[in-house]
Amino acid sequence: MRDAVAHFVHVSKRYPAGLLRRPILALDNVTLRVPSGEIVGLVGPNRAGKSTLVKLLLTICRPTAGQITRLGRPWRDRGTLAGVGYIHESQSLPRHLTAWGLLEYYGAVSGLPGRTVRQRATKLLDRVGLADRDREPIARYSKGMVQRLALAQALLNEPELLVFDEPTEGMDLVARRMVFDALIEQRRQGRSALLVSHALADVEFLCDRVAVLREGRLVFFGPTPELTAGDGVSLERAVEPLYHREEELVGV
Amino acid sequence: MTLVQQFRTVTWLVRDTFRQSLAHGIFWVLAIVSVVCITLCASVTVNAPAALADPGENADFLPRNDPDARDRERAAKSGVTIVEGTMTLGFGAIELPVARDARRAVHFLQLLLACGVADTCGLLLALVWTAGFLPSFLDGRNIAVLLAKPASRWLLACGKFVGVLGFVLAHAVFFVGGTWLALGLKTGIWDAIYLWSVPLLLVHFAIFFSFSMLLAVSTRSTVICIFGSIVFWLVCWGMNFGRHAVLAESYPPAESRFSGRAVALLEAGYWTLPKPADLGIVLYDALEAADSFTQNGVFQIVKDHGDFHPWCSLAASLAFMFVLLAASSRQFATLDY
Repeated sequence: MRDAVAHFVHVSKRYPAGLLRRPILALDNVTLRVPSGEIVGLVGPNRAGKSTLVKLLLTICRPTAGQITRLGRPWRDRGTLAGVGYIHESQSLPRHLTAWGLLEYYGAVSGLPGRTVRQRATKLLDRVGLADRDREPIARYSKGMVQRLALAQALLNEPELLVFDEPTEGMDLVARRMVFDALIEQRRQGRSALLVSHALADVEFLCDRVAVLREGRLVFFGPTPELTAGDGVSLERAVEPLYHREEELVGV
Repeated sequence: MTLVQQFRTVTWLVRDTFRQSLAHGIFWVLAIVSVVCITLCASVTVNAPAALADPGENADFLPRNDPDARDRERAAKSGVTIVEGTMTLGFGAIELPVARDARRAVHFLQLLLACGVADTCGLLLALVWTAGFLPSFLDGRNIAVLLAKPASRWLLACGKFVGVLGFVLAHAVFFVGGTWLALGLKTGIWDAIYLWSVPLLLVHFAIFFSFSMLLAVSTRSTVICIFGSIVFWLVCWGMNFGRHAVLAESYPPAESRFSGRAVALLEAGYWTLPKPADLGIVLYDALEAADSFTQNGVFQIVKDHGDFHPWCSLAASLAFMFVLLAASSRQFATLDY
């Protein structure tokens, strides 16, 4: 087994922004590794660069500098994406497809054989509670149902690495529980996950390690208890100082 | 991905496009247009001899309004046929005189459908109606998960392009095949030349949809795709017609009122851009329309002087399409979401 499923080494990312296309630094010299068999939580205030880090890992955008390896291969090797499951932060699934059609479609694009897709889709749709409505267009689904379907598509290829970007935002308790179970099951099977979330209680409950980003920089990365156990405080209290610049803290 | 996996990916992108068109109602709009035309063809009856002469022979005939046609006895003695047939439309509601024989009457209708309805109105409407497919597919919230799959970006882009072509092909087959069948069943005249319009219409659409695709990957805006592709079609048509018009005015070259530099510039523009007017001429020739319609004088002059090269024109337009497809795939492959 490899020791890290994702590895970022001195990674930076600049985006052109605004009318003048001025470059904005979204990530600045980040070095981070997601160890095998662990769940790593990625937290930070808005515009800290969390989603950018995820997009870089999944080749949705390209790094300006640095090296990224995914499942032991350079990020450009798209073949390794077959071992990754992903939930996007504000995902919109094709509303004209049915749940069954969506899983068949995404399974094909993932390179899975048709028979395997059908076997897994049956189990997954049952697991997320959509088996009885799998032939209905997604347009008729509630938001919670769409999120459960998003979870099913992420698990379809039995991924070695799960990447969840704000998976529980706006979810009801049942759907949230399903996401938790998926992550716990992932770890139980010796697989890994990267969880981006603002829900720090969830991160504290689920994650073995936590990475804190602020303004594109990694300000903490280590085991979750290292942040919380010392003073016996919650993760929410523990990371709060890390969310602010030092000069802002002076007046606190 | 293996070749089989790539094929399955493209197959699913094609299926997705059809489902998208069904959900947005575009499928049904095009189908209704086709059904109206098929119904019109099914309402046709022709009361005239199938042909005035055997294939390869010239028919001697007189239109019914010709002064010489009044003396029927003399015409019969001379072996000249007086055309007297009629064609009815709308299940007998409209009666029209036939200009020659039933075969020509049916051929005339097919030319109206292929060159008038499908090649101009149909093509532009298909460009407008399908312009939203790619921007909606490429929207960041829709495509993020697909981009995190092993299928390469160029495969996704080309697969969607093939999907839209498949959608247009299906409708072209339904429209042309349906009207051909309806006319054939009603009149007993099966003019297979008409079927050539399917591949020619598809090529015409593919060339201009490739420009829409470049706009889609660059801007992800449906409005820009609609207006951009229509304006581009008009610009290309203008360049194409302009080149032929200038050449037609320049015979003999010594007496031309255009400078050599202007003509060279037009030639460069003509050979670089797609050529919608030339594609129309190719369709006109393929459907043997010369017997029913007089070709535009400018085109005829250029053809007569040997300055129209259908195969080179078609190849240059297709080359432009492949360049645009490569540019679109490159743009999409390097795009940050």
